[in-house]
Amino acid sequence: MSTEHAMSRPSGPGQKAGHQAGQRTEEQHGLSGKGLKAGSVGLIGAVVIGISCIAPAYTLTAALGPTVSEVGVHLPAIFLVGFIPMLLVALGYRELNNAMPDAGTSFTWASRAFGPWIGWMGGWGLIAATIIVLSNLAAVAVDFFYLMLAQLFGNPELADLTANLPLNIATTLVFIALACWISYRGMETTKSVQYVLVGFQLLVLGWFAVAAFSHVANGTAFDATAIQADWFNPFGVESFSAFAAGVSLSIFIYWGWDVTLTMNEETKNPEKTPGRAATVTVLVIVIIYMTVALATLSFAGVGDTGLGAGNPENQGSIFAVLAGPVMGPFAILMSLAILSSSAASLQSTFVSPARTLLSMGHYKALPQKFGRISPTHKSPSYATIASAVAAAAFYVITRTTSENALWDTITALGMMICFYYGITALACVWFFRAEAFRGAKAFFFKFLAPLLGGVMLLVMFVKTAYDSMDPAYGSGSSIGGVGLVFVLGTGVILLGVVLMLVMARIRPEFFKGRVLSRGH
Amino acid sequence: MRYVVGYIANARGHDAVNLAVSLARGRGAALDLVVVVPEVQQFGAAHSPRAGFENALQEQAQEWLDEALALVPYDVPAKVHIRTGDSDAHTLIGAAEELGADLLVIGATSGGIFKRFTIGSVASALLHASTVPVALAPHGYYRQEALTRISCGLGNRAGAEKLLDFAVGMATNREVPLRVVSLLALGVGAEGDAATAAGAAREYAERHLAAALPAGKAEVRAETKTEVVVAHGRSIEEAVDRLEWEAGEVLLIGSSRLATSRSIFLGSTANRILRALPVPMIVVPSDYELKQLNHSASNDPSREAQS
Repeated sequence: MSTEHAMSRPSGPGQKAGHQAGQRTEEQHGLSGKGLKAGSVGLIGAVVIGISCIAPAYTLTAALGPTVSEVGVHLPAIFLVGFIPMLLVALGYRELNNAMPDAGTSFTWASRAFGPWIGWMGGWGLIAATIIVLSNLAAVAVDFFYLMLAQLFGNPELADLTANLPLNIATTLVFIALACWISYRGMETTKSVQYVLVGFQLLVLGWFAVAAFSHVANGTAFDATAIQADWFNPFGVESFSAFAAGVSLSIFIYWGWDVTLTMNEETKNPEKTPGRAATVTVLVIVIIYMTVALATLSFAGVGDTGLGAGNPENQGSIFAVLAGPVMGPFAILMSLAILSSSAASLQSTFVSPARTLLSMGHYKALPQKFGRISPTHKSPSYATIASAVAAAAFYVITRTTSENALWDTITALGMMICFYYGITALACVWFFRAEAFRGAKAFFFKFLAPLLGGVMLLVMFVKTAYDSMDPAYGSGSSIGGVGLVFVLGTGVILLGVVLMLVMARIRPEFFKGRVLSRGH
Repeated sequence: MRYVVGYIANARGHDAVNLAVSLARGRGAALDLVVVVPEVQQFGAAHSPRAGFENALQEQAQEWLDEALALVPYDVPAKVHIRTGDSDAHTLIGAAEELGADLLVIGATSGGIFKRFTIGSVASALLHASTVPVALAPHGYYRQEALTRISCGLGNRAGAEKLLDFAVGMATNREVPLRVVSLLALGVGAEGDAATAAGAAREYAERHLAAALPAGKAEVRAETKTEVVVAHGRSIEEAVDRLEWEAGEVLLIGSSRLATSRSIFLGSTANRILRALPVPMIVVPSDYELKQLNHSASNDPSREAQS
């Protein structure tokens, strides 16, 4: 044969394995395998990724109100304190990601550390958290969509359309379906779009803060409140319940920051860029959170009437209420910033539950079809659609049972993040237990930091879950005399337990530890 | 000779592999099966580090390629490649150029119900940018035996010489007959002119064919059986439908004049032909020259016999 580089064909089944192994090696070392990474990012790129994952305009509008209702003027203190467990857990997250890069993240890591049952629940927590945030993102996007229409046409009635329940649900489902379709088609927001979105968000949030402070200076603020040192004192929060609730909410506002720490090979300088990017990202985020939090408190106070940040009417989406009075005609920029950032996040967040479900399907912890990758679009096809259906169902249920769906979902979401981050952090401690005492660095990063972070988050989780049984908790919605947030939070976890038991019956392989084994 | 196959793990991919095998068998060519996986970006993926999904994609692509390889019969040499790139079409063109491929083979259609060819987005992007000929497998193409005849669609525009040279070369190398097809769409009222138009078209085609056949080499001339056919109908689709097609036939079409030199751009006529065509179509970029006329001498002759 003149075709010398043609592969010899296996003549029998015995040769097949060897031939395939050879093939694979060639792929890995050849040009077509993993070689030079196109699109590796520098410091700025990594910071943009970090900020876009956090989506500050969206998180602030969603979390600022509920947090104020818990901790009042101590909002800045709680925002600062909330970063500590996030940092500690993210350090453990990084160690796990370096040791076992896997699309299933928390699911895979917790399975490797604690075995299939806890691993499954860790994965479930991650999926539930991302499903909940999807429904909230879509709802926020819809609110600002109608608000923007109202601002655009100078017709305030349009903004009220979002309060029309059937219309609101229909629009939200359309948004979810669109994001799902984009995700299914494997389309991703490009770098340049992210740069613009992030720049625009920061600009508008800065504008909001400056405008609010100038109202305060001119005496035109709604409830001008002088900034006090006590606002920064976390111990000034009246009760531990309020503190726990505040921290679990502020975990949410930093959620996504951990991604900057896990970027290694995609950065131009894997040694230094991820650490620097994480630092710069968190500095930018803390500065913008502090500025906006202080501006909001100074302008609106924490009163529970009118524009007050403590007014339950304003909790779901604070900027929807405040942007107009603060920014005047330019409030439409705020609507645009939040609409664009929540729409972009909606699409990018879809990737997360889909990949976790894909991984769980792959490891036989879920039915096989979850592990499907679309041949045409190379996206997790079944898992993406399943995520969309779940997010849509969650939204419909919350919207129809809660008086303030946005508020209650954010609180439930905070709980869910505490739950799965707690498990992930402890998985890190347990997985690396043998290496933890081999030097100060290992001790801190693989043991102490994740241990402290994990314990803190699980304590916050238990405390919030316990408190949320009170029917007056959160927005004050309840089902059968039990607070809705509790029903949502524990309901989702219990649903996970039930599904896990069903799975263990129909596909016992994974649960017998035969697919993902424990330990190294 | 190397043919790059753009493989997609569904019926479309199978069509492409079958056609590639069929083409390779007449020529002793080797196949390069390529699966394109997207560049996983960290931009636009919140709460999910990219490394894990990248591994999952690579693993899946390898599985797909193993399946694809199983579709290729033992007498056709084949290699597999995973390529990473955001655009399937551009990545395939890149692979074809880098591997020095003579042809890109893809499944053209996702299976329209009424039309045999519905051009998929990848195929359509390829047809606009490829620098090598692109072979499009129709929906449900199952044949793996060597070609039995080559048809060459001739328009009356410039560039026909190059295309005919290519067609003659291909037919000679494969030792199969060449049919030069002139497709005429005549308006409803123009039936009377049909004979005149057909005559003109036949005369045009025969003149070009005579020029394309190598004059000096008598034995080549003798080996290549050629005929000229004029098909007409009220539309191009009808003209295509009226022709009889062999199962083992392909239609060669030149790309439109709109294309920049050396790349394919499918004109509207070619696009319409494609919709009515029951056999595979190979679209040749304008100015593309067949690299090896008489290349068959350097090829293993036993291979030609085998197929």
